[in-house]
Amino acid sequence: MIKRVLIANRGEIALRILRACRQLGIEAVVAYSEADRESRAVLVADEAICIGPADAKRSYLSAPAVISAALATGCDAIHPGYGFLSENASFAEAAAAHGLTFIGPSAEVLERFESKAEVRALLAKHGLPTIPGSDGVVADEAAAAKAATKIGYPVILKASAGGGGRGMRVIQNADDLAQLFSICTHEAQAAFGDGSLYLEKYLVDTHHVEVQIAVDKSGTALHFGERDCSVQRRHQKLVEESPSTALTPKVREEFLTRVAKAVGAAGYRNLGTLEFLVGADGKPYFIEINCRIQVEHPVTEMVTGVDLVALQIRLAAGELMPMTQAEVERRGHAIEFRLTAEDPAHEFRPQAGEITTFRSPSGPWVRFDSHLYAGYEVPPYYDSLLAKLIVWGNTREEAIARSRAALLEVEIGGVETTRDFFLGLLETPSFLKGTATTSMLDTIGTADILAAAPKARA
Amino acid sequence: MAHDTERLGDLLDSLVPVLVERLHETGLGEIEIERDGAIVRVRAEDLGAPVASAPAPVASRGGVPAAAAPTAGDERRHPVRSTAVGFVKLAPDIHVGGKVAKGSLVATVDVLGVAVEVRADHGGIVAKLRCASGDPVEYGQELFLLESVGEGKL
Repeated sequence: MIKRVLIANRGEIALRILRACRQLGIEAVVAYSEADRESRAVLVADEAICIGPADAKRSYLSAPAVISAALATGCDAIHPGYGFLSENASFAEAAAAHGLTFIGPSAEVLERFESKAEVRALLAKHGLPTIPGSDGVVADEAAAAKAATKIGYPVILKASAGGGGRGMRVIQNADDLAQLFSICTHEAQAAFGDGSLYLEKYLVDTHHVEVQIAVDKSGTALHFGERDCSVQRRHQKLVEESPSTALTPKVREEFLTRVAKAVGAAGYRNLGTLEFLVGADGKPYFIEINCRIQVEHPVTEMVTGVDLVALQIRLAAGELMPMTQAEVERRGHAIEFRLTAEDPAHEFRPQAGEITTFRSPSGPWVRFDSHLYAGYEVPPYYDSLLAKLIVWGNTREEAIARSRAALLEVEIGGVETTRDFFLGLLETPSFLKGTATTSMLDTIGTADILAAAPKARA
Repeated sequence: MAHDTERLGDLLDSLVPVLVERLHETGLGEIEIERDGAIVRVRAEDLGAPVASAPAPVASRGGVPAAAAPTAGDERRHPVRSTAVGFVKLAPDIHVGGKVAKGSLVATVDVLGVAVEVRADHGGIVAKLRCASGDPVEYGQELFLLESVGEGKL
């Protein structure tokens, strides 16, 4: 039983978790840094506590500060959101040691699923197809070169402790590898505190498809369909949708069932997402697992009608799965657009500053998750996500038409945003056909996409 | 309005003499108290002209008080703020009227068993406590107000 949750995150996800807590009748306290004193989650929360300065290392990333704040406010659980401490096994362990329920997988489960290289081997053993790659972490450059020759170039070198699209490099040939191996090792060491690397065959023109799963403490594992996140820029997702246009109905059902079964059998617990690449052969290959709620979870919520954050909290509290797989119905099509404070006309340069005007879209089957308001100051310290527009339709075409209308209603003044980029994307043939792959933005220039955007009345 | 004016008058009549006396006793430059939603502040340099203002500062929305904004233009008063989130323990000499040297250890904040130090940025006399030992405090929360006294007094 969870009575009072400390929300150890910021921005739209802090607000999303707050809403889930209120819906479940659970008290919530928002933990914030000095830079977020005026954030919407803090303003609308019943209670909030400042945990440190703007520097995330001393606030949102400080395990002692977060746990101490939970104790000081009488909380019995911590929701870490995404990013920050959300997949940190030692944080989950420390929280548990102080009698706090970590809303996510236990420390033990996080540890087991921590190393990307090992997880690949573990899930392959449980029947998931994986991309040909090195057998776990590569010891040194020579071992990497040997593995790369065996699989065939191009390969992608990845930080074993990396995530969120960071810590990876495409290697075209043996010369690249010789040049980049030690740089990648240093980068991984600096960014994640662990320089271990592994490598995989680099598949070009793939769809990024991921499966939302949930597992209760007894091992009952359900899937909630897939999301297609192929529209990416430098491995950062921009648009997500469900279902994926890359899977045939026949492949899809068999695949989803297999994923849920494998992840439950491998010992995973709580909410999670398994990411796959789907190549030209239409077959999904496992790449990695994310042991947390994801930014794009609303896409799945719109299609299934399941509140995933509420489900995550209930599972963390020790409840058994409140539904069967047959009860998880997937209906229609949903698309999410990540509106960020970035200037698409200038290499997506990050923006900060005051939001001078703010108008959110609405209408049937339109959801807008955002922490913005007019007068809010976007701090320069954190990620640039401003809002998520999620739109549902009976068909993909209907969802796209509705998305266009909703995007035209959005007004965010004071900073440049990605809104016009998305309006242009919705006029781009490969996206409309559902054939856009992860390399789409390497072949179509941002300027061309922006040029295709219909002009909103100024 | 008439009622408020009358109430304020009564308040000032009863409080001001006591405050003036305390001001002389302690050598403080200023004393401020809250009573019935009003704040009465007496300053040494303008004795006889107490400042009354209402309403009192807004209490926090939750269990942990929000950091109070420093009084503008009041250069002699220095809030001492928590350097961590946790449970506070005030040093023994931190009570109203207690003397504090610049840089001295005035409190610790217990963060999961680790005592994080709070040191005074200014020397002075404790004018007002905003917390008690054992209280949960947030980062940046005002723990007490220090008032600087003339140079050479500490």
